[in-house]
Amino acid sequence: MKSILFSGVVAAALLFSGCSSKDPKVEDDSGASAASSYSTTSSTPSSSSESVSGGLSEAELKAQLITRLEGELQTINFDFDKFNINAQNRSKVPANAGILKGEARGLTTKLEGNCDEWGSDEYNMALGLKRANEVKKALVAEGVDGSSITMVSYGENSPLCTEKTRECWAKNRRVDFKLLP
Amino acid sequence: MKFLLAFLFSVVTLFASDATIEIVKKVDSLPSLAIEDSSTVDDGTFRMKFFKMLSSDLNVLSIFNVEKRYATVSFDASSVLVENKDINYVLRYKIEDAIGGKYNIYVKMISKDEVVFSKKYELNSQKIFMFSAHAIAYDINEFMGEDSVEWIKRRVIFSKLVSAHNSQLVISDYTLSYQHVIVSGGFNVFPKWANKEQNAFYYTSLDGATPVLKHLDLKSSKITNIKAVDGMIICSDVSEDGSKLLLSMAPTGQPDVYEYDVKSKKYKQLTSFGGIDVNAQYMSDGKIAFVSDRMGNPNIFSLNPKTGSVEQMVYYGKNNSTCSTHGNYLVYKSRESSELFDQNTFNLHLMSTKTDAIRRLTAVGVNEFPRFSIDGDAIIFIKNYQTQSSIGVIRVHHNKNFLFPLAKGKIQSLDW
Repeated sequence: MKSILFSGVVAAALLFSGCSSKDPKVEDDSGASAASSYSTTSSTPSSSSESVSGGLSEAELKAQLITRLEGELQTINFDFDKFNINAQNRSKVPANAGILKGEARGLTTKLEGNCDEWGSDEYNMALGLKRANEVKKALVAEGVDGSSITMVSYGENSPLCTEKTRECWAKNRRVDFKLLP
Repeated sequence: MKFLLAFLFSVVTLFASDATIEIVKKVDSLPSLAIEDSSTVDDGTFRMKFFKMLSSDLNVLSIFNVEKRYATVSFDASSVLVENKDINYVLRYKIEDAIGGKYNIYVKMISKDEVVFSKKYELNSQKIFMFSAHAIAYDINEFMGEDSVEWIKRRVIFSKLVSAHNSQLVISDYTLSYQHVIVSGGFNVFPKWANKEQNAFYYTSLDGATPVLKHLDLKSSKITNIKAVDGMIICSDVSEDGSKLLLSMAPTGQPDVYEYDVKSKKYKQLTSFGGIDVNAQYMSDGKIAFVSDRMGNPNIFSLNPKTGSVEQMVYYGKNNSTCSTHGNYLVYKSRESSELFDQNTFNLHLMSTKTDAIRRLTAVGVNEFPRFSIDGDAIIFIKNYQTQSSIGVIRVHHNKNFLFPLAKGKIQSLDW
């Protein structure tokens, strides 16, 4: 008795090869428009010195601001299996809130919840999210506009370090602050 | 009288098939099996790969003592090799070249000098040779009258972490010998087969500003966005007919279980506790098992969706998270050691919902993400031990575990 079992699998394999790689989302091409505006200003030499120093596009300026502010915003760390903000990290909240209400006003804040490596399952993803949510609640209590905050949990999938040490695990149990234009 | 008979019958079947009772088959009471290779293909590497895979599959069946030695003989030789004359079963196979780069595989099983089983298989490409070996093992298992091992032929889908914020969605066989990357270049997690045919799957994309649940149709390569939601969205389970999904969602930062109707695209919130409710699984009695920390620590509960009543399912252990269900059985992950980071911190346990009896399935390492196979005969899971990430397969009724290591990367989640 013939057993033709594999044509389906091979056909599928051939199908798979047609879609084996998906590119991540493409960022907006504001860089291209910045280049064209730069070349336009440089063609008028009399005013070029002022235009070149201030020749960055709005998008580029925003990107620079975001990079600087993200460097100033402090990561909040958590105890094992916990999502409440402990005493050592509590002072970071008003400091971060100050930046978000000040220079970062108008930007969207993305809170990224993270866990250490002990479990990549749904419960851990939820724990990461509860951490982000506690931080959001604390920021709102400090006067930050809640509608400007989004949250995501990466569980254990976005580690800062991978050593199997308590110090590394403590580093990974965190909420990071990212800013979106 | 009828009631008494029915009651006695149910008691007998219960004890006959209760997988929570330790089943220890003595090794020397299993029949012996030896393999003889009669292949005529030139490629020695291919022949050896095939032999090793077939040998491994027959070993995983757990119904034979499989001889490890490799031997060759003519397919039409009238008797088995001298060294195999006392072996209970001899499996002889021949891989020969066929037209168009394909292969024919002839298989026969000899017992007491008689051919008791024979079959021909067609293999279209060397790349998928492992599926031939799996099919042969499946058929031999059926011939021997054992419980079906449908899972041995099915495909696993898993998310492999390549680096921070970067994962691949990969389809493989249960041994990881065949791997095909379906989606790469993004941060995609929690893949879940959308149907029994395994021609579509759901997954969560974490690339954008908010998480998005997506559906990928393998036949058309089409990707559909099901829902984008702040916080998290994960497809935890799919109903048997594929028409409903159990989701873990947290639109306001509050993780709860929702049910989604694929056709009507309507959502129904099933839990409302203020803590964490996730990882819901359909059960055969119409209830839903899920993980909740409503008692202070994560544990397994059951929800009756009709009445809304919730009952605790597991009364042992202080931290039970992740579960999978099949028939009357529940498998879950438990943190056992009181030391935060001890060697055997997470182990899998099997529980019968009828008897509440529990059996521990693993011993060392971080064992997580258990998933019952479609036939309930096996449990697949992720094992991370020291720096090695592996897929584990537990034969539920044979008290045996098998490990298949991943060469590079870490398995984040899987489904089969």
